[in-house]
Amino acid sequence: MKDVTDLGFRRLVKRAGVVALTIFSVLTLSVSGACINSSIAATTAPEELTLNGAGGVQLDATLFIPSTTPAPAILLAHGFGGDKTSVASQAKELAKAGYVVLTWTARGFGKSTGEISMDAPDGEVADTSKLIDYLASRKEVIHQSSRDPLVGITGSSYGGAVSLLTAGYDTRIDAVAANIAWNNLQSVLFPQNAADKAATGPYKKFWAGTFFSIATLPNSLAGECGTFAATWCQAFKDAVAHGVPTADEIALMNASSPSSVADRISAPTLLMQGESDSLFPLSESSATARAIHAAHPNTPLAMIWHSGGHDGGVDESPRLNQATQDWFDKYLKKKVVDFPQFQVTNTNGSISLVDSSVIPKFLQADAFPNTSGTRQIPLQTPFTALVAPIGGIPAAISSLPGVGSAATALSIAGGSAAFLPGQSGFLESAPLTSPVSIVGSSTVSVKISSTASDATLFFSLVVRTPSGQTKLPNGIVAPIHVTGLSGAGSVFSITLPSVVVDAAVGDKLAVAISTTDQGYTLPQDGRMYTVSTASPLTIPLLEFRSSASKSAQLVWPISTVIVILLSAFYAYIRRARHSGKPQVDSNALVSVTNLSKVYKDGYQAVSNLSFEVERGQVLGLLGPNGAGKTTTLRMMMGLIFPTEGEIAIEGKPIYPGSPTLANLGSFVEGSGFLPHLSGRENLDLYWKSIGREDDPYIEEAIAITDLGSALDKKVRSYSQGMRQRLAIAQAMLGMPDLLVLDEPTNGLDPQQIKAMRGVLKDYAKTGRTVIVSSHLLAEVEQTCSHVVLMHRGKLVAFGPMKKILKRKGKAVANLEEIFIELVGDELTIGLNDTLQKKTNTLLAQLLQKGKGN
Amino acid sequence: MYNARKTLPYRTEMYRQLKRKRTLFAYIFVMSLPIIVALAVKFGTSGNSTGPTRFGSGTADLIGLATKGAANFTSTMFYFATPFLLVAVISIFNGDTVASEANWSTLRYLLAAPVPRTRLLIQKLKVSLTLSALAVVILVGTSWVVGEIAFGNAPLLTPLGVTMQSHMAIVRLLIVGGYLSINLLTVAGLAFYLSVATDVPLGAVGGAIGIMILSNILDAITGLGTLRNWLPTHYSFSWFDAFSSTIDWTQMIRGASYAVMLFGILIALAIHRFGKKDITS
Repeated sequence: MKDVTDLGFRRLVKRAGVVALTIFSVLTLSVSGACINSSIAATTAPEELTLNGAGGVQLDATLFIPSTTPAPAILLAHGFGGDKTSVASQAKELAKAGYVVLTWTARGFGKSTGEISMDAPDGEVADTSKLIDYLASRKEVIHQSSRDPLVGITGSSYGGAVSLLTAGYDTRIDAVAANIAWNNLQSVLFPQNAADKAATGPYKKFWAGTFFSIATLPNSLAGECGTFAATWCQAFKDAVAHGVPTADEIALMNASSPSSVADRISAPTLLMQGESDSLFPLSESSATARAIHAAHPNTPLAMIWHSGGHDGGVDESPRLNQATQDWFDKYLKKKVVDFPQFQVTNTNGSISLVDSSVIPKFLQADAFPNTSGTRQIPLQTPFTALVAPIGGIPAAISSLPGVGSAATALSIAGGSAAFLPGQSGFLESAPLTSPVSIVGSSTVSVKISSTASDATLFFSLVVRTPSGQTKLPNGIVAPIHVTGLSGAGSVFSITLPSVVVDAAVGDKLAVAISTTDQGYTLPQDGRMYTVSTASPLTIPLLEFRSSASKSAQLVWPISTVIVILLSAFYAYIRRARHSGKPQVDSNALVSVTNLSKVYKDGYQAVSNLSFEVERGQVLGLLGPNGAGKTTTLRMMMGLIFPTEGEIAIEGKPIYPGSPTLANLGSFVEGSGFLPHLSGRENLDLYWKSIGREDDPYIEEAIAITDLGSALDKKVRSYSQGMRQRLAIAQAMLGMPDLLVLDEPTNGLDPQQIKAMRGVLKDYAKTGRTVIVSSHLLAEVEQTCSHVVLMHRGKLVAFGPMKKILKRKGKAVANLEEIFIELVGDELTIGLNDTLQKKTNTLLAQLLQKGKGN
Repeated sequence: MYNARKTLPYRTEMYRQLKRKRTLFAYIFVMSLPIIVALAVKFGTSGNSTGPTRFGSGTADLIGLATKGAANFTSTMFYFATPFLLVAVISIFNGDTVASEANWSTLRYLLAAPVPRTRLLIQKLKVSLTLSALAVVILVGTSWVVGEIAFGNAPLLTPLGVTMQSHMAIVRLLIVGGYLSINLLTVAGLAFYLSVATDVPLGAVGGAIGIMILSNILDAITGLGTLRNWLPTHYSFSWFDAFSSTIDWTQMIRGASYAVMLFGILIALAIHRFGKKDITS
């Protein structure tokens, strides 16, 4: 009984553990949920304000105050065509992160008064200085001195440029994060990628027009210029008319360009630029970074090239907002944040299998692109001849403003609209023999000759696959406009677009040249061009690591090794240990000592069973169903663990896998064969499986089966009797010293039963031992020399068959009465005569009963 | 006379398993996928003859890609077989192995032979893992041969537009097959553990498949966030990274490590459980 309670207690502990775990996890979840809720509720309601800008302009602004003040402040500027509400959600996030955030609508937009002057120093930039003055007046903002608040500035596009310009003009700015901003308006609107200082590049009319209309159309009542300042409106008209800016206009654009003040920026600066941006391409951020670094080498600088941009691409706003916040945390709150110098998103990686969207890969480097070495790739095509159509139509379409690149990096369809036949050509490399990853801008020298004295061409770096497809990364092209061409042609160094692209082995890198592009103002006269290769292609090299650092990569394999070792250790220490059990002091072949078995469900199958079997005996294990016979035999085979006591064969304790078991043949609770194999194969495989190398006595075993030709049929087709005989033959394989048979005659017909008896008797005569269990008297009576009588797991009688049967047939008053008497006793069948008598009577009656069944 | 190290030899256990109909059917099941797909594409009426459409545009035309030669066909078969077919087959091999012995009552005779319990599990595991690996090999082999016959040989064209020549494509497909085999150790370990835990073969096989399907469903719920990183199937498609021109190993290293980790834990639990179990089957 002790065991049962013990077991129950253990189960109780287990259950209590599970309940405790459940409660714990529920608590943890609700606590973390509460944390999120509280942080959301932390900010106070934003203040709607009208603030004074420069020159009497009224700015519509909103101030977000965090729960804890004083705090550092952030000026959050919106993009072109938007207003303060377009950045409201980012403002709330930053306020939640503990910043006073001021958003405002730029002059000329929304409810703010004034005219759009494209982030001019005396316009929008002067406005932000006024806003810093206002922040200096707020007690919620941390101050470095009375007029100098601790303040960062951030924004995208138009807002990004004003951020950089303000940082240049106002030294009170303590950190900058600019996204998709321009470096120089002239290089953006009149891009020139050839080393020819004499000419400006072709006018980017499509984008400029889009930009202009964004601001003028909603305010068309105010006239053709909308709320644009007159100077800018005039500059736009001139550009459309002539395609070339005047000196005044160049000065105007220069004043509104961060490039003009980049050498004055000393605040930590984070530059973010989109790969999918034909308006302000990646090279803009490189130019800004270069200028800042040249003037102030110690200024903390970081750059992120993401997969978004003005052309769309893959939106990475959440990640970029987080990076912006990290940047301010690092330089305004002085938190320890690990911020890589350069991060780039590679969209040439995986795709989602849920919606086929691109899963970007994030790579990091400790240097900026185009700063750490180059590689030369020879171009094999000697030259290409191109036509520029009269009127510039049809024109190639490389990208569509605001819609995206016509031929994205992911396009695998050949013959895109970016390269029209006759109007485009390729200077190709040989097929690559190793993969190439290009991040940054490549350069090449070409000799250009033309039927005219000038040339307008669109260069790009493309990857051409063996299957004939041409990949134009993000649809970005580098326009050039060169003048003063000599008759034999002039050599120019061309800076190809900054791109992020991978080329595989077998691909060719190529410099693509197109005479037309729909996005630009083109020469109206028709021309012929010849472009010849004058140098190898120079591509930038940069050492990258995956955004998870090398050490993080190793964490997984290392922890795997640790887990495997721990698992092996666990399996080793928790394995069932048996071999250390002491030798049992007994001369009997089998000795069963105080054997008890309580199953997991609390059922006591065997209790305190002891008996011994000598060599040469045929022992009958006799009892009704449920007496514990099979459990005892299973324990003898090492299949079931005794709860108490033990079984030893030749004095050696039995445990699972104990070598002693090799000398025991068994048949318990029916046969066990592979149904898909024949009887012969089953015997053969069983012998091969049991690890014995002596004679299997296969012929003797086969004789016992009495199967004849059926031996080669599949066991699946056997009757129960056939399986039974095959199983007994299997038990006898190798003639083990001890044979254990459980109900061996079940399902056999009378002749076979008779034969089986003979077999068992003969087996014992060779000095071997047989243990037979049965619930039938006749069976045991005719076969066995000794008998063990069991009932409800307990030993009722044990002794030589003849002695027990001697008093068979004596009349007994009441069976149940004797039972109760016996079970109530100590169950030791001793030499007490009265008890012996009673036992034998009981036995006889029991056996009679069994016969009746 | 008796030598525990000679019990249940690998070759004997392999023979026992190979003679089974279910082994044959499992392999036919694996082989049928490429054959059926190839026939359907070749003779189907609505075949997409214009070739693959653009990835990232939301219309992944994997079948169109599959028709671009043996290498592409094989990679598409990987894609089709990863979520269910290979999981099912490997669950059968590993989940059925011990439980079916219990079911046939042969387990008790092997253990009483005696085959030491840990040795029995290890021998069975060796064979079931061999059979599982063979399933992946058969999938690759059949796909390649069927693809070659149906669509000829062409460079591997990944959904991202990277083109790889034959030798490179074969290397990449081997990486994929290798990763997939390692990743499937999770399923193998789970099925094997269940095989020890129950005497019903169908329970072990079905249980393992069920848990994998559940994990796939949970993995599709983005709301679970980073919790999904710990699902056993989370990295089952990480082999896609092997198709970009420069391989980013991050996800594959994680996936492989996690799979080996889970496998180790599950096998240790199986050995522990089997070691102290009462064999009543």
